[in-house]
Amino acid sequence: MDQNIIVNMKDITMSFSGNKVLKSVNFQLRRGEVHSLMGANGAGKSTLVKILNGIYHPVSGTIEIDGTPVNIKSPGDTEQYGLAFVHQELNVCIDMTVAENMYLGNWITDKRGLYDRKATSAKAKELLDMMGVSIDPDAKVRSLRTAEKQVIEILKTLTKDAKVVVLDEPTSSLNEKEKENFFLIVDKMKQRGVSIIFISHFLEDVIQISDRVTVLKDGVNNGAFTAGSFTKDDLITAMMGRKLENSDYEVIQVKEDAPVVLELKDFTSAKKFQNINLQIQEGDIVGVCGLLGAGKTEIARAVFGLDSYDSGDILLFGKRMAKPRPDKMIENKVALLTEERKLEGFVPLLSIRENITLSIIERMRGKGRAIDRKKQQEHSQRFAEQMKVKMSGIEQSVVSLSGGNQQKVVIAKCLSSEPRLFLLDEPTRGVDVYAKSEIYKILRNAAEAGTAILIFSSELEELLENCSKIIILKKGSVSGIVNAAEMTKNDLMGLIG
Amino acid sequence: MQNELKKIRKYFSEDAVRLGIIAVFLIVMPFVSPYFLKTKNIMNILQNISLQGITAIGMTMVIITGSGGIDISVGGVLALSVWVAALMMKSGVSWVLAVAVAILIAAFCGMVNAFSVGIMKIPPMIATLAMMYMTRGLQTVISHGSTLNGLPEQFQYIGQGMVFGAIPIPAILIVLLYIVAAWFMNKTVTGRNIYAIGGNPEAARVAGIKNNHVIFFCYIACSVLAAIAGLIFIARMDSAPATVANNLEMKAIMGAVIGGTSVTFGGKGKMMGTFLGVVIVGLISNALDLMGVSAYYQQFIQGALVLVVVFLEAVRTRREARRS
Repeated sequence: MDQNIIVNMKDITMSFSGNKVLKSVNFQLRRGEVHSLMGANGAGKSTLVKILNGIYHPVSGTIEIDGTPVNIKSPGDTEQYGLAFVHQELNVCIDMTVAENMYLGNWITDKRGLYDRKATSAKAKELLDMMGVSIDPDAKVRSLRTAEKQVIEILKTLTKDAKVVVLDEPTSSLNEKEKENFFLIVDKMKQRGVSIIFISHFLEDVIQISDRVTVLKDGVNNGAFTAGSFTKDDLITAMMGRKLENSDYEVIQVKEDAPVVLELKDFTSAKKFQNINLQIQEGDIVGVCGLLGAGKTEIARAVFGLDSYDSGDILLFGKRMAKPRPDKMIENKVALLTEERKLEGFVPLLSIRENITLSIIERMRGKGRAIDRKKQQEHSQRFAEQMKVKMSGIEQSVVSLSGGNQQKVVIAKCLSSEPRLFLLDEPTRGVDVYAKSEIYKILRNAAEAGTAILIFSSELEELLENCSKIIILKKGSVSGIVNAAEMTKNDLMGLIG
Repeated sequence: MQNELKKIRKYFSEDAVRLGIIAVFLIVMPFVSPYFLKTKNIMNILQNISLQGITAIGMTMVIITGSGGIDISVGGVLALSVWVAALMMKSGVSWVLAVAVAILIAAFCGMVNAFSVGIMKIPPMIATLAMMYMTRGLQTVISHGSTLNGLPEQFQYIGQGMVFGAIPIPAILIVLLYIVAAWFMNKTVTGRNIYAIGGNPEAARVAGIKNNHVIFFCYIACSVLAAIAGLIFIARMDSAPATVANNLEMKAIMGAVIGGTSVTFGGKGKMMGTFLGVVIVGLISNALDLMGVSAYYQQFIQGALVLVVVFLEAVRTRREARRS
């Protein structure tokens, strides 16, 4: 047994309801190294990490830590093995101080066993200084920027003497300066003998920071690289494969003189996105792609008036929208499919009929004030059938449908307001392949009928198959606009990561 | 030195709204009534707020635990435990034993509340609503709507005794309990854990804190403090009416909320704030009494005041958030 290996995951196989997501995957972490784990969406890297975290339990395979086989039953078990996880969504107590967050549950006490605020603050300061971080240990975490909160979370692992630290997409919300600091911290952690598993989509970051890289593709090991002996292209090929993608669809053709439906001019919201310029014509399908934190969702929400923005203009049919509000946007024939289907897409306990007519309920009124049930039934029936929703009938509650069918109902809800601009944020997340292709067909039909469709997505195939052009977002700014027909998945991956 | 000043200013800025309101009372009221600033009146105010004030300590702890933490059973738990104690004293049992039994009953009720909330994961509002009706129900059974008087002299001393001839014991107790509570919340490991689980239960769990231990502690403390407040109250009045502590839960919540405890997010609130909140409520009713305003108006004015303070707080926090 190699003395140098601290975490050894051997032949890990995992399946969800018969669907194998990991097939005999191996992953070894050596003492004091930074080992990156890469893969496209759905390649299985987060599943592998969740197994190490005790959230999932593998069907077969073993995990050894320091050469001893371990059985990690729940996240609570990981601390005893010296494992610490820093998740993308940060777990901080915003009304406590920086020092208190770093020593959460590990309180420094004085001789009498009382919590010692001064000593906690002093020890936190020592650690912050050693790591070269200039944050006031007595500041409330509420007042920190996201990048600083993340630093606190990373340093928290050191106060617990973790030997292995797993960092999940730690650089996605950092700017260049912050990223430099982050790399310094990682270096210092290495010097202290901490081993690091680094999960990231950002190719440059991975190349800069890693001693080794393991790439997963479709649930199997598909490449192992050692620092200095690989290029960005090697990583892309390992993640995506060499196959060229041929779309079955014809590329959308837009009439040159088709009117512009939406134009954004220098659209800016501090810390979220900057100087976004884009145009979309009637009948066009345009994609906006980028990694998590690139600003896709933020732009979609700001255009629809769900969040505020700082400067720039929204022009709808050439008319400036000063203060967009969801109700005003709907009035102006704009629809938004939000990313969070379960939270914002539908009312779970209401029927398909009621959900489809949710935003146009005013139009369902009969002669008096009351809703014309028959009109509502006809409308919902027609849309549900058009969308091919698999249901026992339109009275079925939406919560009892499968994810793909729920999404079809939500799209039906949006389309039933007859939008001329349809914004979709991650329209096929958690939707099976068959439902996906049906959703694409529906969107194409809508575009043919003249609706302008703007898809915000991190699924590259989806954009390549359906869009005429793709706008690439990086850290809240447009870094390029490409024609989908001239792109392969590999090219696109290289551009966004 | 400058750092110290900054700290002091920061400390008081959090209580700016409350200290401002109290300052207004201190400046205006002496013109309305010369009696207002007399030691006797101030002691009177402290004595009057001791019931809801001591209850509000536990309420604040429970609200800080977050996840909808609240305890609306305090009035019922108080009523049941002091009635059992009063009946025991009337039947000749030693008052010390009676007090101990009252506290044990309260602790048991608090434990049941914590079990429902922490282990059965029942929303605190519902769990303590059930407890409120059970305890009120039992108290109604044993009290038959009557009032008990004539408690032992020694017991009465807890509520009526004076120290240095001018300071009533309830006034000392409420101040003392707040000092201990503030110390506890800031200086002990359990106190810090309460803020941690309220601020982010998931982070606390990952950090190895036993969230349920903290929840048990807080709900039991809340019930026991209510019982202590009730015992002091019946000792002061030498009377345990059937309607004792009616609406107490709402008054305690009001004190905590005026004090800046957040019922929306856990992990936010301070004993000092709650104390000032309770004092403000006490000052209003005292001022209204001195001005001869009918008791009928007092509820309305108190309610309006809650709204004003909460509005001002919201404005202040929004400003603070914008600044950072």
